[in-house]
Amino acid sequence: MEELNCTPVFEIPVFGGIAVNESIVVTWIIMAVLTVLSVIFVRNLRVENPGKVQLVLESAIGWAQDFFEGIIGKENRRYVPYLITVALYLAVSNLIGLTGFKPPTKDLNVTAALAIMSMLLIEYSGIHRNGLKHWAGHFAKPVPFVAPIMVMEIFIRPLSLCMRLFGNMLGGFVVMELVKAVVPLLVPIPLSFYFDIFDGLLQAYVFVFLTALFMNEEME
Amino acid sequence: MLSLDFNFVLEMINLVILYLLLRKFLIGPVMNIMEKRRAMIADGIQNANDQQAKAMELKSQYEDALSGAKDESRRMIEQARADAKKEYDRILKDADAEAGKIMQTARETIDLEREQTLRQMKTEVAGLAVDAARKIVMDSCGEKDSQAVYDQFLREAGDSHEDSKGK
Repeated sequence: MEELNCTPVFEIPVFGGIAVNESIVVTWIIMAVLTVLSVIFVRNLRVENPGKVQLVLESAIGWAQDFFEGIIGKENRRYVPYLITVALYLAVSNLIGLTGFKPPTKDLNVTAALAIMSMLLIEYSGIHRNGLKHWAGHFAKPVPFVAPIMVMEIFIRPLSLCMRLFGNMLGGFVVMELVKAVVPLLVPIPLSFYFDIFDGLLQAYVFVFLTALFMNEEME
Repeated sequence: MLSLDFNFVLEMINLVILYLLLRKFLIGPVMNIMEKRRAMIADGIQNANDQQAKAMELKSQYEDALSGAKDESRRMIEQARADAKKEYDRILKDADAEAGKIMQTARETIDLEREQTLRQMKTEVAGLAVDAARKIVMDSCGEKDSQAVYDQFLREAGDSHEDSKGK
């Protein structure tokens, strides 16, 4: 059961000691790697005669851009970079279990933080688009009777995002650990493809997809 | 396992930082370059259209100029032909006039000469006649005869002279 817990790695000696979890440290590593890779690959971008690396980067980013613009609309493209960032971060964190690190998304703090950020973004996009008045008024539509449910939705959306991601990652991790404990040879390989790679990418996709969808809903 | 603590805040900070970093180093530049390329392609197409329009305009201009030149050359040839005709007529007329004048002069000269010759001839014939008469008189006849012969001779000679002039 030890693997399930997110153990504190070290303490920051302020405010009576803040225990920094492993997931946060792994996130730092992911951030560093992503940033360094970005700096390396994004050098020497050219408008004409792009290199192979640039073509791959452009097609990937272009695909993501088209995907998100298809959901939230071209006029809201300012939110696309954040969504791409989250998608990239989730994809890497969900796959990082393959390298021996514990996936950060297995920590409830991480998924909760992601979900809260999504919630803030969803509500902010709605307010930014339609104004505070409209945003406050839309809870009472179509009838004021549903207002409590609509208000609850603000918190239900991120909760479902958070718990779906957390549950999937934890569940996949637990299943993999059990399989490895029972049959350590060969059998975990196909299962690892499913639980570590497919499920990880699927959950990353679902998370950003739903966030974009909720934003679009809120901006209508 | 299901613990929410301060790490939650740290993770949010991490996310914001990661967002800023990736936007600065990855998404921003790549999107920027794609946007630039899009602009460049649009620009190129626009440019090509402009060039084509300009070329068409020039072409029509040249065609206009060419047909204008054709007309001009035709007009010039026409003009030259008219000029040449006028000059030709003028030269012909001049030549006619000149020839007429020359003929006139020649005729006058001929007349004058003939008259002169005639007068000379008359004088000579008269002299000749006198000589002949004297000879006759000395040879044979008297004074009266000789006078009569002389007159007759003169009349005859004069008549023939008158006749030849009248012809």
